Amino acid sequence: MSALTALARLRAMREGVAQRITTVRHCHVSDRPMVFVPLKMAGEAAAPLGAMVGTDPDHPRLLVVPQPRNRNLRFAFTAELAEVLLPYVEGFQKRTETVERKGGEPYERCLEAPQVLVPNRPAAEFTGLLGRSTRFRRVDGPYPVHPSVPLLGRWLTYFADRSRQPGSSLLLAATEALGTHWATGQSALEDANLAALLGWIDPPAGTTGRRAAEEAEDPLLWPPAGPATDPGFDNEVLAPAVQAYEEAPTDRAVERVAEALRTQLEPTWRLMWRSVELLRALPEGSRVAGRWESDRGSFTRFVERIAEGGPPQARRDGAVSAAARLAGLERARASYDVQRAYDDPLVMAEYRLTGEAFAGVVTAVEPEHFEGEGRSRKLRPLVTVRTEDPVRLAPGAAVGSPERRGHGAEVVEVVAVSGAGGVPGGGTGGAGGGTVEIVLKVTKGMGRGKTPAPGAVPEPGERVCYTSLTDDFQTSAALPDPEETPWTHGGPPEEYVPGDDDAQEEWE
Amino acid sequence: MSEPLDALEQRIAELRAEVRRAVKARDTSLARLLRADLRRAERAWDEAVVTEEAGKPAEEAGPALRESGAALMPIREQVHQALLLLGVPTAAKLVVAVNEAFFAGGLRSPQLSSLRRDEERSFRSDPYARPYYLCAALTDRLSPARGLLADSTWPLEVRVVGPLSPRVDFLTTAVRIAEHLTRLAEPPPGAVRLLSRMAQNIPGAVEGGFGPADPATVVGAARAELEVHLPADTAQRAEVAARAGDQLTDVERLFGAAALSTLRGAC
Amino acid sequence: MSRLDDLRGPVPARAHDARAIAALAANPGCARRSLLDAAGVDKDAAARHVGFPAPFGQSQFAITRGNVFESLVKENGCAELLRLLRELMGLPIAQVGYQDVENVGAHLRASHTRALIDRAARESEDSAVFYDHPLLSLRIAGQTSYLEPDVVAFQLGGRFHVVEIKSFSVIDGQAEPEKVAAAARQAAVYVLALRALMEELGHDPERVSHDVVLVCPENFANRPVASLVDVRRQLAVLRRQLARMTRVDRLLEDLPEGLTFSLEPDADGVPTRSAGELAEALRRVPARYAPDCLAACDMCMFCRDEARGCGSTDLLGRQVRDQLGGVSGMDEALGLAEGTREPEEGQEEIARLLRLADRLRRECVA
Repeated sequence: MSALTALARLRAMREGVAQRITTVRHCHVSDRPMVFVPLKMAGEAAAPLGAMVGTDPDHPRLLVVPQPRNRNLRFAFTAELAEVLLPYVEGFQKRTETVERKGGEPYERCLEAPQVLVPNRPAAEFTGLLGRSTRFRRVDGPYPVHPSVPLLGRWLTYFADRSRQPGSSLLLAATEALGTHWATGQSALEDANLAALLGWIDPPAGTTGRRAAEEAEDPLLWPPAGPATDPGFDNEVLAPAVQAYEEAPTDRAVERVAEALRTQLEPTWRLMWRSVELLRALPEGSRVAGRWESDRGSFTRFVERIAEGGPPQARRDGAVSAAARLAGLERARASYDVQRAYDDPLVMAEYRLTGEAFAGVVTAVEPEHFEGEGRSRKLRPLVTVRTEDPVRLAPGAAVGSPERRGHGAEVVEVVAVSGAGGVPGGGTGGAGGGTVEIVLKVTKGMGRGKTPAPGAVPEPGERVCYTSLTDDFQTSAALPDPEETPWTHGGPPEEYVPGDDDAQEEWE
Repeated sequence: MSEPLDALEQRIAELRAEVRRAVKARDTSLARLLRADLRRAERAWDEAVVTEEAGKPAEEAGPALRESGAALMPIREQVHQALLLLGVPTAAKLVVAVNEAFFAGGLRSPQLSSLRRDEERSFRSDPYARPYYLCAALTDRLSPARGLLADSTWPLEVRVVGPLSPRVDFLTTAVRIAEHLTRLAEPPPGAVRLLSRMAQNIPGAVEGGFGPADPATVVGAARAELEVHLPADTAQRAEVAARAGDQLTDVERLFGAAALSTLRGAC
Repeated sequence: MSRLDDLRGPVPARAHDARAIAALAANPGCARRSLLDAAGVDKDAAARHVGFPAPFGQSQFAITRGNVFESLVKENGCAELLRLLRELMGLPIAQVGYQDVENVGAHLRASHTRALIDRAARESEDSAVFYDHPLLSLRIAGQTSYLEPDVVAFQLGGRFHVVEIKSFSVIDGQAEPEKVAAAARQAAVYVLALRALMEELGHDPERVSHDVVLVCPENFANRPVASLVDVRRQLAVLRRQLARMTRVDRLLEDLPEGLTFSLEPDADGVPTRSAGELAEALRRVPARYAPDCLAACDMCMFCRDEARGCGSTDLLGRQVRDQLGGVSGMDEALGLAEGTREPEEGQEEIARLLRLADRLRRECVA
């Protein structure tokens, strides 16, 4: 939480409507996402109650478990879910592109990838649990399931895992996706309620966001977006319907449960598609496509893994893969943060606030400035930028600029011009107030000629932004191969082969 | 779906919301009225939907009845059947499980909750008129033990329980179930599952995993642990039984003494 | 304590259960809550009466599930629990004794628990391992609260362990951290009560272990799995908070004469005082609202509404409060940011930051 976001929240509180905290959209929104709104039975870890799922806002598929304590009915539910989700996922596997890479074999990558949208983080976690509870099941043996069930389990697990990766858009939680783009006048805790969050962002005509959010908190008006249901609904509507099914498992009894669940799911279904519209309406950030490309690559690799008959994801990571996964997540987080700042002046403003970036006007340029003698003589154009931002960059700091890809520079000196006064390397003695001039020398991205390539060096009068944030690829900490896991970390893990225990694990 | 059904559904949804609002506001009388309306609407919906479905082949209605003459036995006889098999004071839940596994099935725990009281009433009005009574197990304070059912024809030493008795009786039960299984040509799968579950909690009764337990192994393992507890348990039970024999009236001996009057002697 | 009785009015004090006692430590800085709790006021009823019922409810599915799991763990003389303790703590085969405290009837449970625990502590030789349905008591701010741990286990080495049975699942060795934390807080209350009992009986309170046995279903089945949870930290927090509660005198000193939160009912069971009067009385004692209250305190909706009414930045959560350097009003903070308000002494730094943030924001959202 930065002071900028805090300010946006204050303003939302005063204006009664959510405030944008980005100027562009930072997640990918597919042309044909699949919305998945699951409900689970209270008190159970992963007992599905029902779900609304589909790619057509006007034709959701309602899946129902008329007696959630019945294992067979639960597996019937997962088989039905597989009927919807697997063809959707498989639809993206056929069209691929060939990707060339430096020093490596070219490889195939799917042109498009699936995108699953769920209402909130608990729904994403529930998706993972549903995956965990189905991916080890077998089609033969004591508790046989339909062949699609274990496959569904692997996909659900994959989507849930991917959703923990910052910057990935394969599975998005609506509250999180909206929350990265808007600040409301309520707390983050209350933002977890999708209806309330949307109330702030998109209040119905004639009412304020705050009023809409208040209304959204009434479970009678706006059923919770799941996966947990409203206890009042459970006790007064669902329990009698399930009881009726228990006493007489007729079509009519199933229909009664289905109708009950429909009342709880439909409002959220509509909110989900409203969320899609709101997100789509934002202009897409320029680095979103690149991240989606990584998602497509990851998706393609998982498709291949399944095609090659690889085992389902292990219950737990070994020491080395756990460390690698953690390092990967940290890298993704850092890279995602930097990319967002480069794409979005409002995000960059957070770094300007802390002095890691500054924006200003170019006051002087010396394009044909050279450094060194003889063979090591290099073109190093000098650029002077005047800014009122509280710069905290020391001479020698390497900086990049969102306006020019591949452009790199180094801080030469920071000179106070007026006001509070800039102390090079020591900040400007507080937040704002003083004007400073920063002299930069351009080190990268001006071509190989004796003079800089046209446009490679900013012109006097131009507005520029520089930051010490870089998205350079950080090599991961050296981790041993899994076979070399030291004994302190449990030694080399046994190769993971799902056993009978996994497959026959009770699910009641 | 036809129009009247749509309208009814809307009405039902509205009524449900109103009921819940009334319940939330603790307006119970309004809630009752609304609930009644709701029930009427639901019934109307049921009727309408049946009319609409009339053209289609009839669905199998109602729960499938068990095809077993035994299910028609009175509850007390079904309970007795299970107790005879187990031979020790048993909780209602296990009686239900054994009934389900070996016999007719279809017993429910709530049906058993008033059983002891009914039996006591019958005994008081006409003592020893029946060949057996479903009675209580007695604690070391000679009060009825919560939730346990016993057979009045068992000796007192079996019907009283000390601190070790729950374990001893659990192990005995496992032995009895395992032995009964070996006598059957086709062991019912439900009974094998029941035994396997119990075996999980007896050291040495399962060779790892969740597979079906082997009755002989279970008997061996349970007997081995029983040997550890039996001497102490038998002594404790004999002591309590002797006290019960001395101090209690006939009806108390079967159904236990009220807690207050039995403070003497224990603890 | 008579001042507290006045606050509550002529209605019986509301007894705290373990969950409520554990929740006392949630927002210790809130004077309103401290007073209501110390006086034993029924917060739930008070919140309802003033028109702000708390949005708490429990699904019967969850309740049923909890009961079913607990009875499964305890059935057959705690056979499942016995296996778990044999595996977890190396309980010897010979130790299997089981005592159902509830056998004596509800009115004698507390004294029976006391007698059994005393006997077990004196002659650890052949005492039982499990005490089912024990009833403990704890004095809190002059009120006795009765507590019902799931099971108390006594094992070799002469130590008592509180056993807490919860129906949330442990999946591949992981449970939801908030649920484990809540269970630990609740179990700490039992440990505290049991230690108090030991002390009263003249035994070493440390014989009650700070490691409680948490029993949960494993993965997606009903099969229970046990783990030891160290509740020392929760105990420390709890002790501290309970000590504060006994020192409510200072809060009482500042109260206006005659202030009461009485919910005294009329013949129909409706509180005789108007909702307005009660709300007015409640407002006389300052609250410290935070969004976390929404998950813990019966008064949360009332306090949130109050915070909204005065445009408090508390509404936005602690993270925002931290960013605002303690500026507590929305108008004040926005005034500083937009330069329409002069910073007070000590606010210069935060004012500069807010003004800069405001300038940057305006620059970007043209």
